[in-house]
Amino acid sequence: MEFGFTPDEQAFRDEVRRFTAEHPPARFPLDGMDAGYGSGAHSRAYLNVLGARGWLAMTWPRAFGGAERPMFFKLVLLEELARAGAPFGPLVGCWQTADAIIEYGSERLRAEVLPAIARGEATFWQGYSEPGAGSDLLALTTEAKRDGEHWIIRGHKIWSSHAGIATHGLVFTRTSRQARRSRGFSMFVVPNTTPGLDIRPIRSLTGEVYHYEVFLDEVRVPADLMLGPEGEGFQALLNGLDSDRFWGRYYKAPALERVLGQLVDYANTTTVNGAPLARDPVARRRLASLATEIAALRALFYRAACRLRDGAPITYETAVAKVMADELGQKLARLGMDLLGPWGPLRAGSRRARLDGRIAHEYLTSLGHTIAGGTAEILRTTIAVRGLGLPADKRS
Amino acid sequence: MDFTLSPAQQLLVATARDFLGKHCPPDMAQRLALDERGFDGALWRRMAELGWLGLLGPADLGGSEGSLLDVILLVEEMGRVALPGPFVTSAVVATSLLLAAGSAEQRRRLLPALAAGERITTLALVEEDGAADPLALGLRCQVDGHLTGTKLFVKDAHLADDLIVALGGGELLLLPSDRPGVARLPLETLSGDKAFEVTFDGVEVRAADWLGAPERGADALTAALTAGTLARTAEMVGAAQRVLDLAVEHARTRVQGGRPIGGYQAIQHACADLVRDVDASRGLLHLAAWKVSEGLEASADVATAKAYAGEACLTVARRGHQIFGAIGYCEEHSLHLLHKRIQAASVDFGDAAWHLETVAKAIGLR
Repeated sequence: MEFGFTPDEQAFRDEVRRFTAEHPPARFPLDGMDAGYGSGAHSRAYLNVLGARGWLAMTWPRAFGGAERPMFFKLVLLEELARAGAPFGPLVGCWQTADAIIEYGSERLRAEVLPAIARGEATFWQGYSEPGAGSDLLALTTEAKRDGEHWIIRGHKIWSSHAGIATHGLVFTRTSRQARRSRGFSMFVVPNTTPGLDIRPIRSLTGEVYHYEVFLDEVRVPADLMLGPEGEGFQALLNGLDSDRFWGRYYKAPALERVLGQLVDYANTTTVNGAPLARDPVARRRLASLATEIAALRALFYRAACRLRDGAPITYETAVAKVMADELGQKLARLGMDLLGPWGPLRAGSRRARLDGRIAHEYLTSLGHTIAGGTAEILRTTIAVRGLGLPADKRS
Repeated sequence: MDFTLSPAQQLLVATARDFLGKHCPPDMAQRLALDERGFDGALWRRMAELGWLGLLGPADLGGSEGSLLDVILLVEEMGRVALPGPFVTSAVVATSLLLAAGSAEQRRRLLPALAAGERITTLALVEEDGAADPLALGLRCQVDGHLTGTKLFVKDAHLADDLIVALGGGELLLLPSDRPGVARLPLETLSGDKAFEVTFDGVEVRAADWLGAPERGADALTAALTAGTLARTAEMVGAAQRVLDLAVEHARTRVQGGRPIGGYQAIQHACADLVRDVDASRGLLHLAAWKVSEGLEASADVATAKAYAGEACLTVARRGHQIFGAIGYCEEHSLHLLHKRIQAASVDFGDAAWHLETVAKAIGLR
């Protein structure tokens, strides 16, 4: 048992810290909304700089232009970027797509898309959910039909983050009717410039655009833009879920720690009813209690990280961490609103807004986190059935 | 970073799981919890033979040179079976104190006897205000002179041959428990933990009764309280893991409405939360114990582990009762004893509120 980072990992951490100090987030133009996960806003300019440092491809095999750095370097990078409040929104999605392309992408995807990911130019939206297929993804109706060397996709996707500003969609479709409901699905990498795509913004409860809905009308896609084995797309998706849940939330613990630090500073410098807020026993205890929960969350993620690194079986470990990350984020935002009192509901940019209105933004955006990427309810069922061996409910 | 146990730790845990399963079945834990003395001498001697009672000590004093992390892994297993007896009291807390503060003569006289299971030592710390804070102690004594006052919640005092008495200035006394003027009055606990009010009525104290050098008492006490805090946390984690295991087994096998209750989402989701609570508590415990074992600054980590696990493990026990339904209400069922032990441990060596104040300072609250 050993809980430290290696000298190599520590040296890389120092390197990233120098980088974040030299590249203050405020200097970078933002293209898309910060959805509050801790990865900041979508900023292609920031991604380009990360690409220029070689960090986007650092863990890839050398044959694909990578540097074969160990997986833990990604943990270190995410922690330091989150700690700095950097806008690296699409980063993890790019990494996950790259890993899939390296694992089973066509020559074309490897030749065209991978280098664009490495440079920070390619970003991706997920075309999974549909109006009638949310938690029950298999209810989707978007279909792809083979036509010679092409597939023709017809359907309607929704809740696709950053679809309007990304370069490619990962479109999950039915490619054949099979007796088993979970067979016959395939994934396509669809460039946003493909004719027949109609990408429409959905304004979110913050007033900004994060999600899009995408109408696919006879979208013609070359066959070698299929990602993964034909008809086995759902299994591939399931196989990647544990890793997706992990990487999609890993940076949340350092990000929450950052917000907690802002609230501590606020409590230290704010007087309420004639006394320092930091000395209010309820505020003090709630902040300290949140700090213990963030530490607990970090421990869950570290354990899951070691299992992923070592190839140890994962049945519930990343699902538990995701649910805790999302619920803890909501709890912290709620505490922040309580501490801010009448200033809490002031939005960013308002006169008199405190902490730049960030807490209000956290409060609203965190509502979506227990829904996106598997609802807390679906995940609890997964933990119970797959992790604890409780009987599956056939009706759920 | 590596969460896996070393081969030696795996052996320790496997041995403990096997031994405690055989020698401390649930009916025995329950019987000893209700028993006034609550001590099985044969079991204690076997634990000595396994090297557990001297796990923390050096080899030349009968110890087996384990780390605090090793101790924590062992105590988790003890927590699983709600093991009664003075292990944490004597083999962890008092042993830590003797190691850190004892004179060469005191260490030679006591540590081999503690490791062999021939003597038991306990710490008298808490006073009327209930605080586990050494800085809050009021008991004072002239040396040479006479000690008069009261200590509360002294564990296993009825078994102890020696008492280590913490004084308000941070000094420590080492007194034989049968010295005239010492009285041990039992407190009746829910958990079956044997706790006492110990009164000192003009007890004669000489310079030879200092535990080591008086000025080294405060640091030794801090180290011992850290060990005790983590040991009690380990007990909670082990007990909560057991509650989780039992609850899952019950949910798999208890049939209502034509199917196992574990098929209902209400039960599934409750069990999923228990997993989080147990795993997160254990993660914090191991991290803190590792840091202490490595000699790193860990006061905030220790406080974090105790505060978090205290809340989380108690929640596990309470939700466990709901999952078990009526059967968990019975004395013959294991659940209530595990619950009571968690409850007792959660307020021992500082309750959540006290440790959260340490965390509050560590995160920078003024």
